Amino acid sequence: MNHRCHLVMQGDLMAGGYRQQPGASSAETRKDGKRVAGKQKFPPPGSGGSRPVMAPRDLDSIPESVGGKEPQPAGSHIHDRYRTGTEVGKPRALVDSHAKVTGQAWYGDDVRLPNEIIGKILRSPHHYAKIKSIDTSKVEALPGVLAVATGADAPNTFGVLPVTKDEHAMAVEKVRHVGDLVACVAAVDEATAMEALNLFEIEWEVLEPVFDPRKGLEDQDEPIHWRGKYHVGTTNVQKRVFQEFGDRSLVDDPTASSHGKWRMEGVHHGFTEPHAVVAHWDPNGRLQLYTPQQVPHYAHRALSTVLEVPMHQINVIRTFVGGGFGGKSDPFPHEMCAAILSRKAGRPVRINFTREEVYWINRGRHPSYIEVKMTADEEARISGFDIDALIDGGGFASFGHVTSYYNGVLATAPYELGSFHYTGARVWTNKPASGAMRGHGAVNTRCAVEVGLDEMAEQMQVDPIDLRLANLLPPHSRTISGFRITSNGMREALERVREGSDWDSKFRQMPLGKGIGIGCGFFISGSGLPIHWDPNRFPHATVHMQIDMDGGVTVHTGAADIGQGSTTAVAQVVSEVLALPIEMIHVRSHESDTSPVDLGSYSSRVTFMNANAAIRAALDIREKLLNAAWEMLGYHPDVLVLNDRRIYYKHDPAVGVSYLEALHKAQEDKGSLISSGAYRSPPMGGVHKGAAAGLAPAYSFSAYVAEVDVDVETGLVACTNVWAAHDCGKALNPLAVEGQIIGSCHMGLGQVLSEKMVYGRTGHLQNPNLLEYKIPSIHEMPHVTPIIVESSDPEGPFGAKEAGEGPLLPILPAVVNAVYDAIGVRIRDLPLTPDVVWKAITAKCKALDGIDETELPSPRLVHSPLQPTLVARGQEHKERDRKRQRSEDTSAYVNGVLFGFDPDRPLEDQVEGWKSAVEPVPEQLAELGLAGKAWLKKEQRQMGGDQ
Amino acid sequence: MIPSAPKTIWSAKVNGQDVQAIAPSNAILLDVLRDEVGMLGVKRGCDLGTCGCCTVLIDGEPRLSCLCLAGQVEGQEITTVEGLAQGAHLAPIQTCFATHGGSQCGFCTPGFLMSAEALLNENEQPSRDEIACAIEGNLCRCTGYQQIVDSIEAAAEIKRGDAPAPTPASDPHPNPHPEGPDEPSMPPGHAR
Ligand code: FES
Ligand code: FES
Repeated sequence: MNHRCHLVMQGDLMAGGYRQQPGASSAETRKDGKRVAGKQKFPPPGSGGSRPVMAPRDLDSIPESVGGKEPQPAGSHIHDRYRTGTEVGKPRALVDSHAKVTGQAWYGDDVRLPNEIIGKILRSPHHYAKIKSIDTSKVEALPGVLAVATGADAPNTFGVLPVTKDEHAMAVEKVRHVGDLVACVAAVDEATAMEALNLFEIEWEVLEPVFDPRKGLEDQDEPIHWRGKYHVGTTNVQKRVFQEFGDRSLVDDPTASSHGKWRMEGVHHGFTEPHAVVAHWDPNGRLQLYTPQQVPHYAHRALSTVLEVPMHQINVIRTFVGGGFGGKSDPFPHEMCAAILSRKAGRPVRINFTREEVYWINRGRHPSYIEVKMTADEEARISGFDIDALIDGGGFASFGHVTSYYNGVLATAPYELGSFHYTGARVWTNKPASGAMRGHGAVNTRCAVEVGLDEMAEQMQVDPIDLRLANLLPPHSRTISGFRITSNGMREALERVREGSDWDSKFRQMPLGKGIGIGCGFFISGSGLPIHWDPNRFPHATVHMQIDMDGGVTVHTGAADIGQGSTTAVAQVVSEVLALPIEMIHVRSHESDTSPVDLGSYSSRVTFMNANAAIRAALDIREKLLNAAWEMLGYHPDVLVLNDRRIYYKHDPAVGVSYLEALHKAQEDKGSLISSGAYRSPPMGGVHKGAAAGLAPAYSFSAYVAEVDVDVETGLVACTNVWAAHDCGKALNPLAVEGQIIGSCHMGLGQVLSEKMVYGRTGHLQNPNLLEYKIPSIHEMPHVTPIIVESSDPEGPFGAKEAGEGPLLPILPAVVNAVYDAIGVRIRDLPLTPDVVWKAITAKCKALDGIDETELPSPRLVHSPLQPTLVARGQEHKERDRKRQRSEDTSAYVNGVLFGFDPDRPLEDQVEGWKSAVEPVPEQLAELGLAGKAWLKKEQRQMGGDQ
Repeated sequence: MIPSAPKTIWSAKVNGQDVQAIAPSNAILLDVLRDEVGMLGVKRGCDLGTCGCCTVLIDGEPRLSCLCLAGQVEGQEITTVEGLAQGAHLAPIQTCFATHGGSQCGFCTPGFLMSAEALLNENEQPSRDEIACAIEGNLCRCTGYQQIVDSIEAAAEIKRGDAPAPTPASDPHPNPHPEGPDEPSMPPGHAR
């Protein structure tokens, strides 16, 4: 310590040897103006000496709080002092974009290994059947067939969630949907493998299938799965949820109320790359598995279980992923099949899916029946949400356990509620399994809730945006279910779309057939609990970093880049902290052998958690570099500045060392600089059952306004314009954030206007292809104006939150509300295909004494006296929110304050009726909604059965 | 092994090179390009002509290689995404897809690049509507198309010479003998 003080005092003296002349960067050009291929252009370095150049500090990208010029309306951030103005906040091409535009990106089907053979999967022709016997002798006898496997080869179960492992590599006892895996073969070529599939001789016992989730709530002769003592009666209920918070007496005597019953079809991710996998057991007996996975780590775990091989004997290699959206996040049975076949044949096995097979494995959004009742009191406060969601899980559990919660709990914000009541159930049916899809679990109920608000606003004759603005939870508050809200840009998002879309001169003022609507969204930014709970407090994300003598930074992370740009985000934050050009950062993320464990790309966790881990690793290196510079220059790190590969004295930029000089100093006697950073979310949330579902270290907020044209004669809806404001905390890469917003709009528009998985009368999926499954083409896309709202999250990396899933939510209700504004008809059947809309229009015309559809009255709005009250309350809250956001007001705020409660005392003590319950009391059973009926049954253990 | 259709020698000019491949007479162009010629940049998204990922240029015209028998294009000139760049120099359309966000997961990108390239070869100054019509057969699930159209517009500008070609990192260095990226100006530890 003393020694160091001495150095500081001696600063100027010591620095004498390091006085350099950093100048402005100058563009170097060759005299003849020609270029030479193959040589990398590199920004001029700031090493001083013979090449005294250093790029000037980009003050526009350095926050005000640390002396820069970047405005910070949301207040300062703890990472501000590590900003160097290098990368954060700048629109950047993805670091792997050149591989993608040259065709060199290697996706699942592009892995070609020497001596490989082709695997094919035999799929069930039956919806539901027992396999009595499988005879493979003819298959094995076919010349060219090298391996055959059936369910008997891999009896262990797996599943993405440890609580619901109900899948097998191939059907063991029975098949559960058409397309379920029965057996697989590997042969020298595809034609032989295809032929081999015809030679299996199988004896089936066909069982009575269930397709309608409502039927699945009833007792069955042969439930699709059996959960032993936890099985609910003998039904097909996989998971049921009950949650009740708040004061239910507040919903009595409502001023406005809305009651909507929704039917939402299942939709598929529709990624462009079909699944593909290559498995290879290397000569040392280790499995090398190449697969386009969003969540390689869970596949890794499942492979280990199914193959009965320790995890360290498996190397999961994530290829480039051609779109995931949740659809490539389960461990998949075909991955096991490839491994099993390869083990048997002793050669690499490749399995490619056809587009049809992609639909059989599904994991898309759950087809849902949703019922939402909501009420508002005389001050237009939202006194209650009552949500009931019955979701159709298909043949397997997948992520369903979580989806069942998300359908309710993610509706508890961004509004302050008097009470919240949710019943949800997920049932197995004999259809391809539903799972996680972009906006997991939150999308359908969000749509129902936002449309309900629109309806209540209409009843109260107030503007729906003002209704929302006067009921928002502030930053740094707690939702009714106990979620901790940190940064919150909801208000700004609403205000900016209102202004951008010129809402006030359009809403309820446009002619018949033209409409405008609003919708909001709220989503998690990473789930607070990792799916594989571990008693040993593993971090959620870990990043390793290594710098060798050459100065290049190698970053190892397990985060799966699925096109969202997570690799770029990691490279950007490292580059920002170390003030190195992004070309010097090399991210390695493909192999489980070399990457630290990362939980994968789901629940929008990667930017938040992984970039936080990367910042920590980079800070460690930064400290080492600064200490080295301290030793060389004699100035304490606090007065040293990092900029463009140079470290210099704050008050005299000429005194400094180059990055490489500092690096080599730091490497003395050590060799490579190595560091590791990890992220783990802080402890949060309540203690009730299911309290962890929906917990996140931060939440994103969004508000969209959509404009539509409805052809009243055909029912065709065209969305023409969208203003999309999303609060992503801080846009690390605005280009990527905008891309995510527009892409989310596209996917949500598909769900609300055209996409559905059509199951015919016989329960058969009728459109497993991209021709009949209608993903919007460019002609259906509206013009989207992305608006980035930055609320600077205190725990996010440089303030960032998610931007990949949340932006999908608001587009659905915005469109549905806009359709109402256009034709005065509320439709609660998604998607709004022309037949659905036209039917609704005809029904409405009939109800209005058979008027012609061109005479439909357009809805109009005359403000009631409540309107000015709401505007005033909104204004008041705006000031409240501003102060809280900037931490000028740090008092506690919990949901309930709007209703007059004291945030510092438990609400239960203040109101008699305030409760939080996770199981219905017997008196409630009779009034429960559709999904709530699942609570009428007892679990086997309560019935004495525990088989 | 299952007997396959009789094999024939297939020849064509792929990305400026004469190639020959031995393939069954009923082989699909997509399969031949990927498996025999080795152009793995041509992507298979559906095999049914519905996604556009497999788009290649046949004598300058965009075509879906999954719906095309190899025999149909015997002897013709085929351009795939691998043929767009001139050595290390990316074509403007490639650079712009990178810099304007036209490619997220990238799986649809080769198809879009080929459709766009065909358009730009014919039309120097396409409107956004014309661009939309040129890529209507290509499906992208990631980008929502908007940044793809931006990319194509930007590439058109560069091609016309209205905008300077950007110099991304992989572009060649102007100096034929650059020094190391960042050499120390003096030996480390000098100050001690
Ligand atoms: S693979 Fe040719 S159009 Fe899809
Ligand atoms: S970038 Fe992923 S499908 Fe287009």
